[in-house]
Amino acid sequence: MSTLNNKLWRTISRTKGQFIAVVAVVTVGIAVYIGMTTAYYNLNASKEKFYLDRNFADYYFHVVKAPQQVTKQIETIPGVRGVKGRIQKDVSLVNDFNKRATARLTSYTTPVEYEINSLQLLTGRFFAAETVAAQPGEHTRTGDIEILVDPQYAKGNLLDYGDTVTIVAEGKAVPLTVVGTATGPEFIYLMKDAGTLLPDPKTFGIIMISRERAEEILNLKGQINQVLITLVPGADADRVARQVEDVLEPYGNLASYPRKQQLSNAMLEAELDGLRASSRFMPAIFLGIAAAIQFVILSRMVRAQRLLIGIMKALGYRSWQVILHYTGYAVLVALCGALLGTLLGLTLSSVMSQAYAMYFNLPTNIGAVNTQAIVYGFVLSIGISILAGLTACRSVVTISPAESMHPEPPKGGAKTLIENWSWLWCRLDIAWKMSIRSAARNRSRFGITMVGVVFAVGMLVVSLFTLDAVNYMINKHFYQNQRYDYLVRFAAPVNERELLNIEGIEGVQKSEPLLEVPVRIKFSGRSEDDAITGLNPGTTLKKLSDQHEHSIEVPGEGLLISQRTANKLGAKVGDMVEVETLLGIGPSRQTPVKIMGISNQLVGGGCFVSLQQANLLLQERQLVSGVMLKIDPALSAGLEAELEEMTAVSSILSRQKELDNFNNNMEATVYSISILVFFALLLGFAIVYNSSVISFSERQREMASLRVLGFSIKDVSGILLKENLLQSLLGVALGLPFGYLMVKGYIGAVSTDLYSLPVIIYPATYVYAVLGSFFFIIVAHLLAVRGVKQLQLVEVLKNKD
Amino acid sequence: MKLDRVTKTYHMGEVTVNALRETSLDVFKREILVILGPSGSGKSTLLNIMGGMDLPTTGEMLFLGENLSQASDHRLTSYRRNEIGFVFQFYNLIPDLTGRENVELAADLVDQPLDVQNVLRDVGLADRMDHFPSQMSGGEQQRVSIARAAVKNPRLLLCDEPTGALDYQTGKLILALLVKINQDHGSTVVIVTHNTPIGDMAHRVVRMRDGAIADIKENTAPLPPERIEW
Repeated sequence: MSTLNNKLWRTISRTKGQFIAVVAVVTVGIAVYIGMTTAYYNLNASKEKFYLDRNFADYYFHVVKAPQQVTKQIETIPGVRGVKGRIQKDVSLVNDFNKRATARLTSYTTPVEYEINSLQLLTGRFFAAETVAAQPGEHTRTGDIEILVDPQYAKGNLLDYGDTVTIVAEGKAVPLTVVGTATGPEFIYLMKDAGTLLPDPKTFGIIMISRERAEEILNLKGQINQVLITLVPGADADRVARQVEDVLEPYGNLASYPRKQQLSNAMLEAELDGLRASSRFMPAIFLGIAAAIQFVILSRMVRAQRLLIGIMKALGYRSWQVILHYTGYAVLVALCGALLGTLLGLTLSSVMSQAYAMYFNLPTNIGAVNTQAIVYGFVLSIGISILAGLTACRSVVTISPAESMHPEPPKGGAKTLIENWSWLWCRLDIAWKMSIRSAARNRSRFGITMVGVVFAVGMLVVSLFTLDAVNYMINKHFYQNQRYDYLVRFAAPVNERELLNIEGIEGVQKSEPLLEVPVRIKFSGRSEDDAITGLNPGTTLKKLSDQHEHSIEVPGEGLLISQRTANKLGAKVGDMVEVETLLGIGPSRQTPVKIMGISNQLVGGGCFVSLQQANLLLQERQLVSGVMLKIDPALSAGLEAELEEMTAVSSILSRQKELDNFNNNMEATVYSISILVFFALLLGFAIVYNSSVISFSERQREMASLRVLGFSIKDVSGILLKENLLQSLLGVALGLPFGYLMVKGYIGAVSTDLYSLPVIIYPATYVYAVLGSFFFIIVAHLLAVRGVKQLQLVEVLKNKD
Repeated sequence: MKLDRVTKTYHMGEVTVNALRETSLDVFKREILVILGPSGSGKSTLLNIMGGMDLPTTGEMLFLGENLSQASDHRLTSYRRNEIGFVFQFYNLIPDLTGRENVELAADLVDQPLDVQNVLRDVGLADRMDHFPSQMSGGEQQRVSIARAAVKNPRLLLCDEPTGALDYQTGKLILALLVKINQDHGSTVVIVTHNTPIGDMAHRVVRMRDGAIADIKENTAPLPPERIEW
């Protein structure tokens, strides 16, 4: 067999280009598989470990305020394993640059023990429960309140041990001392609320503080405003939740939601779902195509070496030995691909883990090597190659030594179907006729190449679509729906008259009020939490659209319900729903409201009513909770500074800053899109290159005949190009709609409750996909037909074979 | 055409082969020239150089006074295109084109081709021209090959063992066809063969041995191919 192995080596070194191309496709397939699977495994494992270590809550209940003792009562509910009462409240934070930010003040009992959603200290030390007096030798530490902050906020605002941040709570400015950074299982992905596009650590952070100090600062002695529970395994979560809500009823239920809807967890799970979907889908494409290419290469090799196979058999080699010899080529491809793929995959997974480390606060190391994925990768790639090899070589069995020495019967030219349409056929030049007949003669290679191009083009469309989706969102969200420059929110609703103070600031060109009310909407026995925004009919700084993307106006009476809530409740236009307010200030009110339309916001959902209707829901008059401003850009700096000075203001959302934050986060997206585009081009190149090389080597004699007839090198390459284009262009044409379907499938796989990308593909994306495919087709073609120049007319034509 | 002290050396790996040694030959207009010799005598090499498929290592090849021995690929291509018709032992037709299309392919290359239909009729393929090569006999394929060469109305028709793969009767018919083209269109016909009797139909016979011309014999009364026996 060693002689056969030598032959194998020489075959490979003679067809280096093809070997490298197919190895590259396997490499990418395995790399993507190992990279994504490992990243998934690591991210999931560290999530699970973190959740377990820190006892992540199963259910959350928000109330206005309740006595601490209520937790004892909840502990007795069957199915409840653990209960934690705490204080959590968003407060304004004024940082060094006098910029407004929001801090989510969260209380912990000291010493910090194994409790639900407990803390993981990252740097520094735990806060002291009590006010810390100055140590001998330390200066001006008297009366400091110690806190921990989340690491992203610390990084975003350059906070270090001993630095001071000032919050505004209960109308007073309170300085706090940072003693370290920490995270918790509910703070892995930090966004203020579902209405936020992306984390913005500069303007939102978590402050962790001892319960005693939180009670003091927020004036909630002996009180809590949140209850977190863990469940006994197997408990009926919904039933338990109803019972807890009953207990908490007298204290003003504001919201209750399971772990699944906890924002950080939901975002993390969405990322994991997407990763898992891609980790199966992408390698399947690459390995499938690689198998198809190997099938084509080996079928061709067996056909070309028919005589050799006959000689080997005449010498006494058995069919299976010959089959093993040819399948060995595929196995070598698989081994090289798996080896390189593993190395590349581990690099990929570490790059991905680094990216995740930027967005997710996970304390445990997520750089583990997933040996199982590597083993599977090898098994997968070798298994597929062997399968392709055996399928391609099965004809070896039927070759008899004597028959193989006869010249092969001439390749059959034959009429094709298209020739029946004579009006078309007559108009084709001879080169096209040759290409069409040759394609018809090599149907399986033609088909495989075409399918490969379809996938490559489809992948290009999917990769580029991501940019479209982002552009669409930016355009829709920042330029069409959100027309204001600033959204100013107040710490508590104020009378509309108070807005005069803001309207009077120099630079304000237009201001429009809004009233935001968290609500629970009930319909036919079901209920769903959502937020209602009251806007004046005719509001210009915020545009709404319905489920068909048509713009709609806020009705004077009745409700525009968010698509998501309408779906969950099974409610439609014309239905009456019960709206219960959950503002947390004043009593909760319940009002029947008629659904007048469906609103479909890209980000965060949300229901809309008129400002007057919102006031009616609260049984108030002329209340507003915020104001949208259109300003003179030249005066923005002064205006912003003036707004920052207002203590009633809790947050200032600047469209420009949101946009900047968004654009800063685009880097990772662009990076991953570039990688995907590169992979798609590589896939397309490999398949077209292989098909061209084979087609060229099969037809050398034909090409030489044409050269002798007087065809120039350009003419001959042109004929090969036409054949190439025939299959490739068909592939491109089918690849575009296929790409659209892939996008739909992908969106289906990664859409979540919280956000869903629209299936928007701009025409430019198709144009770029087509240009990209031309690029790989032409490059592959040029490389494959380099040989036309070196065609030895005399040599090729001398021998019959 | 004039070949002046032409040599051709091939390097096959580490072996140097002198395929042609200082060979000089004139080819005249409208003549039928048969080059005879055993395999390895350099006759095909000579034909390939005459046909612009290969360049001489040293020496000069002049065609109508133009020196082509150092010509570029571009010049050689147009030389083959406009002046040369080639007929091979194994036909070398394009399998994906019918007989007629194979001839049209060549006709499209030149400015004033002969009529494709007529040429095919002349070679006796009026009924079979829409068949593919795989559906034709060897003789029929060689007729297509001759038609393909002749349709360009070339000054030089070069034939490398044109009867080598054919049976006796068919071979004679093919030779008759070559003579007819020589007479009707005035093309110079050069036939390379190891089959000595074919020399009887030529105006001149060149014998080659070991890469050189052994002798050149004039044939005052060439026989028609029908009367040649081998």
